[in-house]
Amino acid sequence: MSAAASLITHHSSLIMTQVTEFPLPDEVQRGALEANSLWRLTLRRLLRRPASIIGLVILGALILVAILAPLIAPYDPIENLIGVEGAEKGATPCIHWLGCPADRPQNIMGIDRNVRDLFSRVIFGTRISLSVGFVTVGFAIIVGTVLGAIAGYAGGWVDDLIMRVLDVLLAFPFLLLAIAIVSVLGPGLVNAMLAIAIVSMPTYARVVRGSVLSVREQAFVEASRALGASPYRLLFIRILPNALPPLIVQATLGIGTAILDTAALSFIGLGAQPPDPEWGAMLAQERSQVFVYPHLVFFPGLAIMLTVLAFTLLGDGLRDALDPRLAQAGVKGG
Amino acid sequence: MVQYIIRRVLASLPVLIGVLVVTFVLARSIPGDPCKAMLGEKATVEVCERFNQAKGLDKPITTQFAIYVRDIVRGDFGDSIRFNRPITDILIERLPVTIELGLSALMIALLVGIPAGILSAIRQNSPIDIATMIGANIGVSMPVFWLGLMLAYVFALLLKDTPLQLPPSGRLTAGVASIPFYEARGWIVTQGTLAAGLAEFLSNLLILNSLISLDWVVLADAIKHLILPAVALSTIPMSIIARMTRSSMLEVLGLDYVRTAKAKGLPGRRVILKHAFRNALLPVATIAGLQLGAVLGGAILTESIFSLSGVGRSLYEAITARDYPIIQSFTLVIAVGYVAANLLVDLSYAFIDPRIKLE
Amino acid sequence: MKRHRFTFLIVLAITLALFLAACGGAAPTPAPEPTEPPVVEEPTAEPTEEPFAPMVLSTEQECNSEAYAGEFKQIAALDAHTVEFTLCRPDPAFLSKIAFTSFAIWPSEHLESTGGTGELLEKPIGTGPYMLDSWNRGDSVVFKRNPDYWGEPAKTETLVFRWSSEAAARLLELQAGTVDGIDNPAPDSFEAIAADSNLQLVERPALNIFYLAMTNTFEPFNDVRVRQAVAMGIDRQRIVDTFYPPGSEVASHFTPCAIPNGCVGDAWYDFDVEAARALLAEAGLADGFSTSIFYRDVVRGYLPDPGLVAQDIQSQLKENLNIEAEITVMESGAFIEESTAGRLDGFYLLGWGADYPHITNFLDFHFGEANPQFGDPFPEIFDLLVQGAQIGDPAAAEDIYVQANNAIRELVPMVPVAHGGSGVAYRADVVGGHASPLGNEYMAVLQPGDRDQFVWMQNAEPISLYCGDETDGESLRACEQVMEALYAYEVGGTAAEPALATSCEPNADLTVWTCALREGVHFHDGSNFDANDVIMSFTVGLDAANPMHVGNTGAFEYYSYLWGLMNAPAAEE
Repeated sequence: MSAAASLITHHSSLIMTQVTEFPLPDEVQRGALEANSLWRLTLRRLLRRPASIIGLVILGALILVAILAPLIAPYDPIENLIGVEGAEKGATPCIHWLGCPADRPQNIMGIDRNVRDLFSRVIFGTRISLSVGFVTVGFAIIVGTVLGAIAGYAGGWVDDLIMRVLDVLLAFPFLLLAIAIVSVLGPGLVNAMLAIAIVSMPTYARVVRGSVLSVREQAFVEASRALGASPYRLLFIRILPNALPPLIVQATLGIGTAILDTAALSFIGLGAQPPDPEWGAMLAQERSQVFVYPHLVFFPGLAIMLTVLAFTLLGDGLRDALDPRLAQAGVKGG
Repeated sequence: MVQYIIRRVLASLPVLIGVLVVTFVLARSIPGDPCKAMLGEKATVEVCERFNQAKGLDKPITTQFAIYVRDIVRGDFGDSIRFNRPITDILIERLPVTIELGLSALMIALLVGIPAGILSAIRQNSPIDIATMIGANIGVSMPVFWLGLMLAYVFALLLKDTPLQLPPSGRLTAGVASIPFYEARGWIVTQGTLAAGLAEFLSNLLILNSLISLDWVVLADAIKHLILPAVALSTIPMSIIARMTRSSMLEVLGLDYVRTAKAKGLPGRRVILKHAFRNALLPVATIAGLQLGAVLGGAILTESIFSLSGVGRSLYEAITARDYPIIQSFTLVIAVGYVAANLLVDLSYAFIDPRIKLE
Repeated sequence: MKRHRFTFLIVLAITLALFLAACGGAAPTPAPEPTEPPVVEEPTAEPTEEPFAPMVLSTEQECNSEAYAGEFKQIAALDAHTVEFTLCRPDPAFLSKIAFTSFAIWPSEHLESTGGTGELLEKPIGTGPYMLDSWNRGDSVVFKRNPDYWGEPAKTETLVFRWSSEAAARLLELQAGTVDGIDNPAPDSFEAIAADSNLQLVERPALNIFYLAMTNTFEPFNDVRVRQAVAMGIDRQRIVDTFYPPGSEVASHFTPCAIPNGCVGDAWYDFDVEAARALLAEAGLADGFSTSIFYRDVVRGYLPDPGLVAQDIQSQLKENLNIEAEITVMESGAFIEESTAGRLDGFYLLGWGADYPHITNFLDFHFGEANPQFGDPFPEIFDLLVQGAQIGDPAAAEDIYVQANNAIRELVPMVPVAHGGSGVAYRADVVGGHASPLGNEYMAVLQPGDRDQFVWMQNAEPISLYCGDETDGESLRACEQVMEALYAYEVGGTAAEPALATSCEPNADLTVWTCALREGVHFHDGSNFDANDVIMSFTVGLDAANPMHVGNTGAFEYYSYLWGLMNAPAAEE
């Protein structure tokens, strides 16, 4: 009965996010010393799944594109092509070896309504979206971990206070709260990232708090405490590493969400500002013309989808690889 | 049980109070003021002074907060600044749009997501499974606003003049009028009563309304208009539900009693439906309930792309127009909806799994 | 399984119930009743049976004083069908202004019974060719033909207003045939509409101005050479060619040529990069400088694609003048507040659409002594404007406006860029399709093929249908179908024609206008139209001390801005 009750509190505490919590692998519970083997094991399990490999490949390609953007993109992303022979506002994609007449300039994805090369903009957009994902989630993890660790470790009213405040944040629809925060801070990519970080932070805090709670009373922690380890040392060396596996899964999925939500904010004009080649902002600029120039809407959206897909596939793979139960099921099934 | 509900409701009060405060503070911290936002380039200082006086915006901020809290406690949301009408009336018009959209999206998500998840689990690692899971991953990765625009392009323009053509905006075709069920049925409703408000609210749920008044033309038209936005909004919950169903089915299928049932020679379908699915339903119910929140968030974008005047779009417009009373009360209503959905999910556990007792 | 389905239903039902509890639980509180009965002199309940008791509205404040800068000294009913307007100063634009939608005439009984707000905002009762049937919030407004209309009756029995903020969606509805006419198709779709044999496009004459403003109180815009360099260094033709629909033109002057004296004087500078760079070098800025471009992402007839134009100006400034301008998109309200107060350090994109077709509506508002939006106002310009506003005859005022326009060109408070064209699209079988330069399309003249219903789709839902206190074109257009003022603009044009008045004649110095009212006109509620309705309608809009002066926003912006409110409490310093 008490198990059932705790199950309910556990579920009800997740208001809108899927938090992955699972029993820690035995390896971890024996301490950080054997961590290396855990990661090797995880990687091996990860690479056994085709979906994860696809995710890794897409992500690798995107990182490469982001780094090499100036080499890949034929034009500067904000360069105006007015006056270039044959360049026309809103022109459809033109790829020469697919039969596009040679007298038209080659624009793989067409030309946007500011007469700029869409392909170059999409390529440079990779840089923005990837950094948005990593920076936002990085920030959310740091703040979330600190809060979650404090709450879990201190317990009592500190825990109550922190968790109630986070509950309030979670009682808003994600996007609505982000919109409100950006409206206060003023539109812009940095503020949009900050808003997304604030809104997604409670998730990480919960993951960390859950992990801290689950190991706080365990033997090896008790032992360290008895040996006189300082609370900080205990927290950082003994307890937090145990929160890593679920945190990594959550973060991988979270990067995808962060990219998606920042694009949504840009789409309604609160995120990246023109002329930055951010995908959501590009969609927003061309949305009113979706029936006249569908290609201008199609490609930036596709780019968002592929990027988010890479993180989702990878996150899923990591979750399965780190969860011994599912991993076993997978082995048996295969 | 009743005790449990009361305790849960009481426990959610601090959260709702927090929402109240946060919303008020956020709304008032947005730069710009309602007068300039509403009156535009021709607003002068004197005009705005009169405007603020008329709307009570010249009072100290603490007084405004006190008035707001007092009104909420009395169950009065106040008047919209922009429309100069009681917010309750506006909610009666707009909440049904979002509820209709959200529930349809959730229904599509459940109707497709659960069977797909089950199929995927019993045919683990088959092409069906792989395709479903890739589909689910794509589903959660797709921006709602992009999918909405593309659906509108395909079904409104590319498929124009085919039977598959669907309208890209609005709730009804011009000229098709939805008559409130109580009028159609000749039931008498006294204006200004709670019952009248409720009746009007229900009649704004067009599908429900046309079902009660047996108006098939309106029903067909309303459904036609609902398909695209509901599908656009359903992809993310659908994918999440499919994945959750699959993984919890896999877990349950691996358990001893299911294997025992199979070994006893029970037919496969029965095992899956009676034993496995029932037990796998618990996490699925959780996720489905939680998706209600995600659906409300997604509605902001979906409603604006498909020109639906629901709660999400109104809220976004209210933020732009600095219509504080609407921002505050709509957010509160949504938060109440969230908390209620959560509670329902927990209550549903007891129905799904009788071993769970609520205390 | 059955039980689970049942469970699901219960879950749904409870959710619904909770939502209901959340919103329906608020018992509607009755709107506060107006505390006193309206204090306007002697409301005559049954004007037909009782002798007519003429009403008077007059200001208690002194004309042209510090307390009252408004225009009306007195508005008086001389008899049941004559109204006399006494002004504090001559107004050559009187007829153009009196025809504005906001100054429509309401039945005095209706104004009194609503107390100036509440039902007034939702149930317009006028004399127009259509009357309101129902307003389905969030969806549509339905009008029915007024069978008792004094003029040419409406062509269709039913008129429906719908709206969508997405230009693409509006066009699609038109193509699908679910609407008969749409406002503002996107500039990029003009060609496609013109080429489509099922549709017709009517271009709306460009009675507006889009300008690139600079606030001269900030460095380096305090240097007139820098402002002149910008004036010459931007290829305005390229902007109009690339981003504006057909029917738009590069602005030769601030005021469009369609307005008398609008484009007298020298035309704007030609695009000349060399000369512009030389001016910048002279000002010591040969290497350019860094600044910002501010705009709001709001589509207007004068600026159909704000984002695209802002980005193009940004790239032109960089290419031509080496000016690095960072784009900042501001929320609309904040943008208006900051820009009109002259607080934006950099360039900003703004424009103006004509309220009434007179040059004072363009120049006096922007370059008058009291307007800080371009920084310090220029006496070289505003002194001339004060003189020009006193003269009724455009020909006599021409010389003054030549000088004023040349002064604007010389001092460059801003760069006029374009008069933006927009349009209205109809289905091809609609007879009588037109586009009003003022945005007041008049639906009563439209005959959609053999159908008896005309469906119109515009950008947004009306905010209220009491247009005395509304400013947005979407509300005004809806009011226009139901309500009438003493004069009206000609269909598809700007000339003021008699409407509820058969004539309004001025005295010699244009300070007293006497209007003869049309007789035998009935409001939609059956009541008779007479002079007291005129007085009462103006009282509600103008007299700030009147308890019925409530409206929707309480600002009565057009009353305030075109006439000036009476008896307003002194503004606090």
